[in-house]
Amino acid sequence: MEFLLNPYYMQLITFIIINAILGISIYLTLSTGQLSLGNAGFMSVGAYTSALLTLKAGVPLYAAVPLGGAAACLLAAIIGIPTTRLRGIYLAIATLGFGEVVRVIILNLKITNGALGLSSIPSMGVMLSKGIAAFGLAGGIGGISVRQLGSIAVILILALILGFLIFFALRLSSSRLGRAFAAIKADEHAAEVSGIDTRYYKLLAFFMGAFVAGIAGGLAAHITFYIGPKDFAYHRAVEILLFAVLGGSDVVWGPILGAVLLTVLPEVLRFATEYREMIYGAILVLMMAFRPQGLISESTLALWRTKLTRQPKIAGQDKVTRRTTP
Amino acid sequence: MFLQQLINGITLGSTYALIALGYTLIFGVLNIVNMAHGEIFMFGAFIGLILATKFNMSIFSALLGAMVAGAVLGYLMERLALRPLRRRKVSELAPLISTIGVSIFLESLALRLFGPQAQSFPSIYAAQLFEVGGLKISAVQIIILAISFGLMVALRFWLAKTRLGKSIRATAENIETANLLGVDTQKVIVLTVMLASALGGGAGVLVGLAFNAIEPTMGITMGFKGLAVLILGGLGNITGAMVGGLLLGIAEIFSVAYGVSSYRDAVAFGFIILLLFLRPQGIFGSKEQQGGR
Repeated sequence: MEFLLNPYYMQLITFIIINAILGISIYLTLSTGQLSLGNAGFMSVGAYTSALLTLKAGVPLYAAVPLGGAAACLLAAIIGIPTTRLRGIYLAIATLGFGEVVRVIILNLKITNGALGLSSIPSMGVMLSKGIAAFGLAGGIGGISVRQLGSIAVILILALILGFLIFFALRLSSSRLGRAFAAIKADEHAAEVSGIDTRYYKLLAFFMGAFVAGIAGGLAAHITFYIGPKDFAYHRAVEILLFAVLGGSDVVWGPILGAVLLTVLPEVLRFATEYREMIYGAILVLMMAFRPQGLISESTLALWRTKLTRQPKIAGQDKVTRRTTP
Repeated sequence: MFLQQLINGITLGSTYALIALGYTLIFGVLNIVNMAHGEIFMFGAFIGLILATKFNMSIFSALLGAMVAGAVLGYLMERLALRPLRRRKVSELAPLISTIGVSIFLESLALRLFGPQAQSFPSIYAAQLFEVGGLKISAVQIIILAISFGLMVALRFWLAKTRLGKSIRATAENIETANLLGVDTQKVIVLTVMLASALGGGAGVLVGLAFNAIEPTMGITMGFKGLAVLILGGLGNITGAMVGGLLLGIAEIFSVAYGVSSYRDAVAFGFIILLLFLRPQGIFGSKEQQGGR
């Protein structure tokens, strides 16, 4: 127990959860076969909006974070409405460019404090531990200090958000909406011919991805209590992309696995930090060459399901072929 | 003042055009956006710098060396990151992701090899100034303009008239038909990637001369600008890349000259976002989408 309460591990867990949320954000857009490289940009919009609202306007934290998500969503409309008419590459480049524009704007605005970034953003942990102290537990319980209780509460809240998003994504894939997404991903023309309003659904998926990325940004801002324009540059966008590429983007578990692996591995392989980016690059190339569907795909899940339940399956029952996606 | 800025803009724009040509060539033939092009460009700049400073080569042989280095990198990238994907049917986003991998690999390799600090070419060329009718043109600007326009004209001619150029255009038109008609498309693809990367490497030296600062992160910034030009001119359109590059260069110089200098790097993508609303297929792009790979 003492081991787990170590602030280092607690922080690692919060980062894993935030990265998993980012993984879901890229999964949502990818579930229609669209590649958005702007998630780092949307994340920064969410982070700065939420941080500025709490810092300058005194908006409470629980309202500021969703507002950050909404701001990201609003900006997604500017990019999304023209680009979702075109094919995927336009969206990828336009979103990448969007991230760059946002970074340059943040770097130059006065209110965002330029290259120095925003510091002393109201911290979620401090707020929660104050709340817990006000609840009459200022001394902590069972040897756990009030600060640690605050961190635990943060982790719980984040886990709750992540759990909700996973639940949402899982429900989505079996809903009418999710089937429309899957149809667009498999073949956009065929989907359009079968009467699916592809533009509407593609935009919707893009908005959802931007909203979740904005939320993740807001949460990250209130956990690290410092944000700067450098945190959301090209490398961040590539890192988020890596979650989906490594883990797979067929099922929601894929990017989550990717996020967990890519957050934990650098901590375990400390000696390799200098080569981190090189390793990331090599992973992207190798995954595309040998396993473009990622570590987890629908067939892997089906395989494990049959192995675990050990029920003999009727041959060919589950063979819904889908085009492999990055 | 206006004409002076225009000349500066054209000089800058011609290097952008050269970078964008590399993107466009690869897109035209392979139908992929090569995200590693900016990093190949950056490597070209460093190789040219090393040749010029450590080996005391003239600027022209350094340029040639950088182009060869670019071509070698292009060959390696094609072998390792693109060919394995072509063998199997993957979505069109897979090569994009694969080249993003190459780009961050090369960037961090450059950080390790050359160090993070900005380096510069010996300033023997920048010092010479010519005055033509009240306009100041430096020797560097003349070299850049001459080389980039020379390369662009040579490329146009080569693509239009020579046998190899024709086979590249045939492959770009339709890879299967070209194959049936006896074009060795595999060879054409390798050749195109190498040619595009050589142009990128050459552009690296020219930009290094123009800005006098070469650093590993310049690949991303300049790569982004090349991408912007690619969209601006229309995907896979060679004329579009040239004109788009010049336009972007001029727009940037004027944005610096008339006030908003710190937003310079956002100009390119501001352009794109505007263009996506007005004319999403690019200035010279055709409305039809190109199919196949």
